[in-house]
Amino acid sequence: MDADTAIGGRSGHFPTTHLSLLEASASGISSAAMDQVIALYWKPVYRFIRFKFQKNNEDAKDLTQGFFASAMQRDFFSRFDPQKASFRSYLRMAVERYAANEYAAANRQKRGGEIQFEPVEEDHATAESPEAEFEREWRRQLFFLALDDLRCYCEDSSKQVTFEVFRDYDLCDDDRPSYSDLAVKYGIPETTVTNYLASTRRMLRQFVMERLKGTTADAKELHQEMRRVWK
Amino acid sequence: MNKIVVGLIFGIVLGAVDGATALFYPETRPLIAGIMVGSSFKGMLVGLLSGWFARKVQSTGWGIVVGSVLGLLFAFIVAVMDASQGKQHYLEIMLPGFIVGAIVGFLTQKMGTPAMAKS
Amino acid sequence: MEVSDSIVDHLRQVASLPDLSGTRYELEAEIGRGGMGIVYASRDRELDRRVALKVLDVPLIGEPQLIARLEHPAIVPIYEAGVLPDGRAFYAMKLVGGTRLDDYAKGEYSLAERLRVIRRVGEALAFAHSRDVIHRDLKPQNVMIGEFGEVYVMDWGVEAVAGTAGFRAPEATLGKLSDVYSLGALLKYLVPESSSPALSAIARKATNADGADRYSSVTTFLADIDRFEQGLAVEAWSEPIWHRLQRFASRNAILLWLLAAYTGVKFLLFFLRKP
Repeated sequence: MDADTAIGGRSGHFPTTHLSLLEASASGISSAAMDQVIALYWKPVYRFIRFKFQKNNEDAKDLTQGFFASAMQRDFFSRFDPQKASFRSYLRMAVERYAANEYAAANRQKRGGEIQFEPVEEDHATAESPEAEFEREWRRQLFFLALDDLRCYCEDSSKQVTFEVFRDYDLCDDDRPSYSDLAVKYGIPETTVTNYLASTRRMLRQFVMERLKGTTADAKELHQEMRRVWK
Repeated sequence: MNKIVVGLIFGIVLGAVDGATALFYPETRPLIAGIMVGSSFKGMLVGLLSGWFARKVQSTGWGIVVGSVLGLLFAFIVAVMDASQGKQHYLEIMLPGFIVGAIVGFLTQKMGTPAMAKS
Repeated sequence: MEVSDSIVDHLRQVASLPDLSGTRYELEAEIGRGGMGIVYASRDRELDRRVALKVLDVPLIGEPQLIARLEHPAIVPIYEAGVLPDGRAFYAMKLVGGTRLDDYAKGEYSLAERLRVIRRVGEALAFAHSRDVIHRDLKPQNVMIGEFGEVYVMDWGVEAVAGTAGFRAPEATLGKLSDVYSLGALLKYLVPESSSPALSAIARKATNADGADRYSSVTTFLADIDRFEQGLAVEAWSEPIWHRLQRFASRNAILLWLLAAYTGVKFLLFFLRKP
């Protein structure tokens, strides 16, 4: 599952390789659209299944793979109605249906209905629901992908320093360096530090929007999702 | 119509009405004509002066005060005139006169235009 | 690249700031978020003054040119409208300090003061309607009371985002009568239900589901409010007879008291006279 539906183009413009879901299914290249969806949704679906259905790592992986494989076969996109719900909700509900069906099928095979419970590795205190976990993982994955897109873009257009300044400052978990620290480290004036940060943040926003575009039905849903992400 | 005319009209009318209430007192009934004329005249004066005041000062409160003071004053004069003829009717004349003055003062404030009537 | 939750939150904060390069504005601080965008306090470098910059998530469907030409004391002047380098639409307008109407409503303000606010809003609407501009999204969040008590109506011409329930008229296409509806809803919002049956009737007439049954214009609505404040009969409400008498009595209270005093004094003197 390589998420890199790469950003081509060294032209310096932001390439719009991602079509909205409606556009993608309309022109019949739904496999590319599916790649977009998988890239963003694999991890969130996985975590959702683990939480909600209390599966161990291997079983959850299998179920996730199974879900996306089955979704690829059936008319997943054509049955989606953007008026009723966001694509995100639609997908999550489809996961629930799929997992419930599989669980029921598996249980029919098992003798005595042996259920195996394995505690999910907790890297943070989760008193939250599986749905909230799904949302959180989705958002994390979205940024992960967008940041990766951003990194590749900066490498391709010789903006490594710009990216590194951004990485040092904005991708820092604790003990953020000051602007003057960065200015010294990279041998650039502080105003340049400010500019680099401003421009990468701008670009990040664009990349997030591009990633979202590939997993939303149309411009209206895209705007709604953008608002949700940045609130 | 301007405030002076308003004062004039209401002063005469209310004065006449006030004078007419003397009909209830049997001892004054025979003199009713004179009483009504005097009362109307008194009311006219109160009305004129209140109207003039209302042109200068727009204040309902002060209009009532000025009207009542004028009413009291002229009523006092009439009462004194009566007393000199042996009739002691200070209260019966001054108290209603006071209130009628207040009414006229109020009406001149609320009605009519402050501008001078041109004709 | 590790992407922890705290990093994501940080990024969400910083990367949502608008790119103002190429414009004459400098970002200062975020001052509010609405249904369609975020408002920032900014500085206009060229004129050296502070402005409010509204950055929209949705494309501008309003009529910015028309609105910019509306000059009225209650309409926040728009200085500029455009598109940011990152593709978002924005407009720059006067930075208004003060209280939003939803906060104002919680304060201790007399009925007269609240009706004054309604009247100012109505005057702005009437003016805009005379220039064929419809507000479409009138609600408490779009009204500001300035530091001198002046009233501003903001966010003109943008179609209401579905969800501003209660203030949006039920009809599908919004017109001048829809603004009448919203004004009626605003009246209901600002003025407690218990204050007066006449006011409730005015509000009800304005917020009638059928546009034809509402006031024909904002002006007639305001005229009825005026009549209410002067103690006259209101078009919206046919009052019971005793209420009409009550109103008459309160309007002419002084005169009635004076006449009562006269009659009382006369009676008293009559019955207390020496036989």
